[in-house]
Amino acid sequence: MEKTLKKEKLNSLITGLKDKGYKTIAPKKDNNLITLCEIQEADEIHFDHVQTNNSIKEYFLPKTEKILSYTIEKTKVSIEEPEGFAVKSVVFGSRPCDAASLPIMDKVFNWDCTDKFWIERREAITIVTIACDKCDSYCFCTSVCLAPDAKQGSDVLLTKISDDEYLVETETEKGEGLIKELETVFSEPPSGTPDRQVATVEKKFEIDKVKPWLDENFVHKIWAEFSTKCIGCGACTFVCPTCHCFDIVDECTMSKGDRVKNWDGCQFKMFTLHTSGHNPRSTQDQRWRQRIMHKFKYYVEKFDNILCVGCGRCSRVCPADMNISEMLEIISTDEGQPEPVSKE
Amino acid sequence: MIEALRKKAEELLKNKTVDVVYGYGEGSVPERTRPVFITKPEDVNKLTWNKYCVYNLTTYLKKQESRKLGKPAIVVKGCDAKTITVLIKESQIKREDIYIIGVTCTGIGDPPATKCKACDVNTPLIYDELIGEKIGNKEFSFEERYAELDEYEKLSEQEKWDFWQKQFEKCIKCYACSSICPLCFCDRCIVDKNQPQWIDPSAHPRGNLSWNVTRAYHLAGRCINCEECQRVCPADIPLNLLNKKLAKETEKNFKYRSGYNVDDELAMATYKEDDNQDFIK
Amino acid sequence: MAEETKFEPRIVAFLCNWCTYAGADLAGTGRNQYQANVRVIKLPCTGGIDPLFLIKAFERGADGILVSGCHPGDCHYNSGNYHARRRWNVFRPLLEFCGINPERIQFSWVSAAEGGKWVETINGVVDTVRALGPFEGYQKINAVGSDASGEAATSGDTG
Repeated sequence: MEKTLKKEKLNSLITGLKDKGYKTIAPKKDNNLITLCEIQEADEIHFDHVQTNNSIKEYFLPKTEKILSYTIEKTKVSIEEPEGFAVKSVVFGSRPCDAASLPIMDKVFNWDCTDKFWIERREAITIVTIACDKCDSYCFCTSVCLAPDAKQGSDVLLTKISDDEYLVETETEKGEGLIKELETVFSEPPSGTPDRQVATVEKKFEIDKVKPWLDENFVHKIWAEFSTKCIGCGACTFVCPTCHCFDIVDECTMSKGDRVKNWDGCQFKMFTLHTSGHNPRSTQDQRWRQRIMHKFKYYVEKFDNILCVGCGRCSRVCPADMNISEMLEIISTDEGQPEPVSKE
Repeated sequence: MIEALRKKAEELLKNKTVDVVYGYGEGSVPERTRPVFITKPEDVNKLTWNKYCVYNLTTYLKKQESRKLGKPAIVVKGCDAKTITVLIKESQIKREDIYIIGVTCTGIGDPPATKCKACDVNTPLIYDELIGEKIGNKEFSFEERYAELDEYEKLSEQEKWDFWQKQFEKCIKCYACSSICPLCFCDRCIVDKNQPQWIDPSAHPRGNLSWNVTRAYHLAGRCINCEECQRVCPADIPLNLLNKKLAKETEKNFKYRSGYNVDDELAMATYKEDDNQDFIK
Repeated sequence: MAEETKFEPRIVAFLCNWCTYAGADLAGTGRNQYQANVRVIKLPCTGGIDPLFLIKAFERGADGILVSGCHPGDCHYNSGNYHARRRWNVFRPLLEFCGINPERIQFSWVSAAEGGKWVETINGVVDTVRALGPFEGYQKINAVGSDASGEAATSGDTG
């Protein structure tokens, strides 16, 4: 289904969503950050940015989440499972790369263990994406088989066709349902071919060359050379829309407690530390290699998808200016033979 | 200046005075630089110096990956050089184990970083070789040094609480603040200890408050105001306000400023019999 | 017995083993009454009281805290209280800067002979905190995310 949305109708759209019982999440400016967060009015929405600082992931996999509560009374343990965590919402104005991360991660959350928290939220949340009309030098979606107007993961895709008008395309039944619910807000599609304003994202590397290289070069001096400057903070994994590692901890007193799921990241040295004291990834180059390998080799082997959508957040946020697309460029153009280093 | 820097680095590497030079190199965009580790004399052209050289490279003195490269020469601005004084004082490094290439600096960042406003170390206080023309270091009054705190200190109790709750709410517990901090050098941070679990690992308001307060407090009398924690925070929390508040109290109560004099006793490792106790019943 | 509607503050007192704890003990043997709102935690020395203990007390539902040890010069370990005093000098303003009323964290020197001063001090703390009311700010953040510890504290488990 095709429609158009005039900017002046945004107010009616947001109030319409509210009336229909949707919580609206959209980009909002807060000091120096553009954050995807809950909004009440259309005026709060920020449009003129390349990318939000936080990714869409936290609305499906929150940074911290209670998975159960327990009470211990003498010999009896009672468990209470949380309810109502999946709230009917619309994410409005996220980028196509963010949306594309969702079907990729569906695979892992529906794998050997089905994650009800993820799945129920996926059902409850509708994604209305706005195609990018600008990009920056960190963007590399086109290098990972996506595009600034990619449709993957979006229920509705908006594309700017003039300064005050978006072309509205529904991609799923859920998206179609949403548009029908708020039919009066949208206009009929323009006749003729609309002028889609979509950014041109430069292709930085040949993705086809990456995995073959990784297959051969688990041991290579580039890992250490590139990552000496890495401080191991893990900010890259936390802002990444596709990094999904988590840790489970109990926050408790003697008699009751909560089991909590928190984000975790492979860049922390504690991530792989064994109780014995042994750490299979004891140095930062091994941890950096893990990040690249997981995204471009292991996940591909397991789920037939690259675990990266080219949003560029990790490179923007990196305190030491580690740039993932630069690393992939080096990998994809490296013609040399594997160069084993003596110590590994 | 860049030429002088490269020449010095080349000389140090050729003479084998050092094994590696920690310096600044070109970044992925013109508005950024990145840390580089030069081990070969022929690579010194990778070194650069401009107003985007924000990093405090002394943080690499605590990292095993960079220490593995051997004896370092390290490019430091005046603010960064103060870290070295503290690290020596806290027995983390020996003075003779590093070579300090000080650079004179008139301010970094665009817009200029807050720390540069009342900078009194344009010329580093400690160095082996100085690059750039020596600048007479300015002096500022106590009030001028901590002027940025004024607007926060005069808030009411409730306003302060609300302000910080709003800031801490954004925390995602990535710990970039402590990873980048050259003075957070514990092999195992209190936050990673779970028997008992002093700080809740979750990024909820309770865990975030105890983490952020503890991080700042562990730097009391130590932080040298390089502002790296604040720069790297992906959630844009003004962490340096907390550090600065502690620096202010340390100076007010103990007449101590961290990183200025290698002969000063560390504020939190010593005491005076007549320390302030007007708040103790 | 307090009426149910009346707010009774929960005070946690961190006392050094050698002076204040003995002082509180003396108050007890002397049959000097003081308000029963206080839970005493005995530790070897004020020098060993990590400020995280104080944060933890708030996390577990304390409305006010008292930290008390030997007078300067009387420390059983010579200088523990001097080091502690340095830390309090910066920790207290830090909490104040974060919006925590400094009246909720009080400090005192009470010797083993000062049973009377103990009674006076702890009554003072209880009265001040009672006037301040419940520590609502912290109670709110104790209940968010994981509510276990907050609840455990308010239901008053006496162990």
